[in-house]
Amino acid sequence: MNRRLGGWAVSAMAVVLTAYPANRLSAQHGSVGVQLAFGDYREVSSDLHYRGGGGGVAASFTYKKLGIEGSVLGLTYDPVAGSSATASFKATQLDVRVRYYIAGPVSAEVGFVNRKMKPEFEAQSVGAVRAGARMSYPLGPGVNMGLRAGMLFGSKFSGGGTVSGVGALELGLNMAVDALRGRLRLTGDYDFQRIARTTNGGGGDVPVPIQQAMGRIGLAVAF
Amino acid sequence: MRHSLLLVSALLVPAVVGAQDVQNATLRRARAAYDNLDYRQALSLAQTAQRERLNGFDRARAYEVLALTYSAMDSILKAVGAFKEVILLEPELELDPNRTSPKVLSAFQVALTQVLVVRQLRVDSTDFVGGQGAVAIRYTVTQPARVVTRVTGGQAPIKLDSVAANGQVNLRWPARLASGDPIPPGTYTVVVEATVGQNSFSASQPIRVTHGAVDTLPLLVSLPGYEYLPETEVPPKSWKPMGLALVYSGIAIAGTSALSQGDLGSASLREAGVIGGGLMVAGFVVMLRKPAPQPARGNILYNRLLREQLTRRNAEIAQDNVRRRQQVALRVVPLPRAGGVR
Repeated sequence: MNRRLGGWAVSAMAVVLTAYPANRLSAQHGSVGVQLAFGDYREVSSDLHYRGGGGGVAASFTYKKLGIEGSVLGLTYDPVAGSSATASFKATQLDVRVRYYIAGPVSAEVGFVNRKMKPEFEAQSVGAVRAGARMSYPLGPGVNMGLRAGMLFGSKFSGGGTVSGVGALELGLNMAVDALRGRLRLTGDYDFQRIARTTNGGGGDVPVPIQQAMGRIGLAVAF
Repeated sequence: MRHSLLLVSALLVPAVVGAQDVQNATLRRARAAYDNLDYRQALSLAQTAQRERLNGFDRARAYEVLALTYSAMDSILKAVGAFKEVILLEPELELDPNRTSPKVLSAFQVALTQVLVVRQLRVDSTDFVGGQGAVAIRYTVTQPARVVTRVTGGQAPIKLDSVAANGQVNLRWPARLASGDPIPPGTYTVVVEATVGQNSFSASQPIRVTHGAVDTLPLLVSLPGYEYLPETEVPPKSWKPMGLALVYSGIAIAGTSALSQGDLGSASLREAGVIGGGLMVAGFVVMLRKPAPQPARGNILYNRLLREQLTRRNAEIAQDNVRRRQQVALRVVPLPRAGGVR
């Protein structure tokens, strides 16, 4: 039954991809796809060092100057060799970005990030509001790239702690290559987060920084 | 002198007689006597023939033999008198100056100035749009006279011209009625009447006027000498995509290094390297590919101007065609005519 359903799904996808009018596709600005992710996670010190991979889904939609994109990813981080960490954990990260075109290649971005860790005490879950800017540039027909930078505000952690106003930064690089006359889109995203978290257990502020670098490679259907 | 006149007479007579033959026997004998240089016999026979019943052609030939004989006998005044009668009978008579002696030509020219005739009335065959052309009419009047030109055959005669003229006269007739409308199709006669005192002479030329439709102009699909330019152009290959991919990737990697927390050790550049590497590969491929056509703004504006010009020109043509459909193409053709009358 499952194999048959999978065959129907593939067939339906093929019909959509081949029968959908290309001119309508070119007039639309949306995509839905899957992503493979791989990342590097560090917390507190260089001894707590993890690397892992996973996957998720991503979607985007653009209307005139406004654009919205979001992704849900699940990664399993394992301690790297030589790390003092002993247990792996799963991270589920939700990213939402709303973009508004300003001028030239520049757009403004706001959104939020929510990353939950399981088991809960192996790493810090975090939630924050993000704001930043993005520069996009078309490399050629169907090939676009972008560079973004921003800050995270109002960060909340599962283990408590605070971040100064400019202590949480993120940097990103992304690219998208259209294929099959725009029906398919191959994407690549890089996101780097550095959160200068501090805790105060009564003996003064203690730095417990968090840093994550994550790469994503995705395939999306454009419509 | 006698030999030259002989030569002239031998050449002249066939030239002026033309295709028609003399019917009267006496006149034929007179011409034979003239050809044999027997001028007294020729003179006697020609005068005898004149007293007989002759048709118009023979009568003109009889006076012609008299005029030539008088010229040969150096009786110039009599020769002029005989030529005057010939001219009145056949106003269109012409002597070939290359085949006629000066003495005969001189007598003929003097005779021309002493009679009033309208000669060489010609109406050119022509086609034109009513109101935009004219029919060329020309004639020669041999004496100073009041000359009136009319066109008859329609509902009422149309007076074309009234002038005091001598020699050749050229007219242009627009072939219109007094109302300005083109004359209806049909057969008309151009009549030229010259008057001096009690003396008058008229010549006529029949013409046929037919109507036709005026050709309309085809609409243009392009302006002659101008061609549309391509509205897109392929820019030259550039290293810019690769360069920008390199710069963006470099910024991402350098930014990662700069922003990474020192306490957490050296930052992992694996993720940035993979995505940045992919971006540079994409930039390199784009750099090698043929660039996508870009809109050529100058050509687009040029083509727009060209299309506007074409639209404007076709609107003018359409407007002109509406006017042309209301017009009439006139064709005027001269018909064979009879001789002048006194």
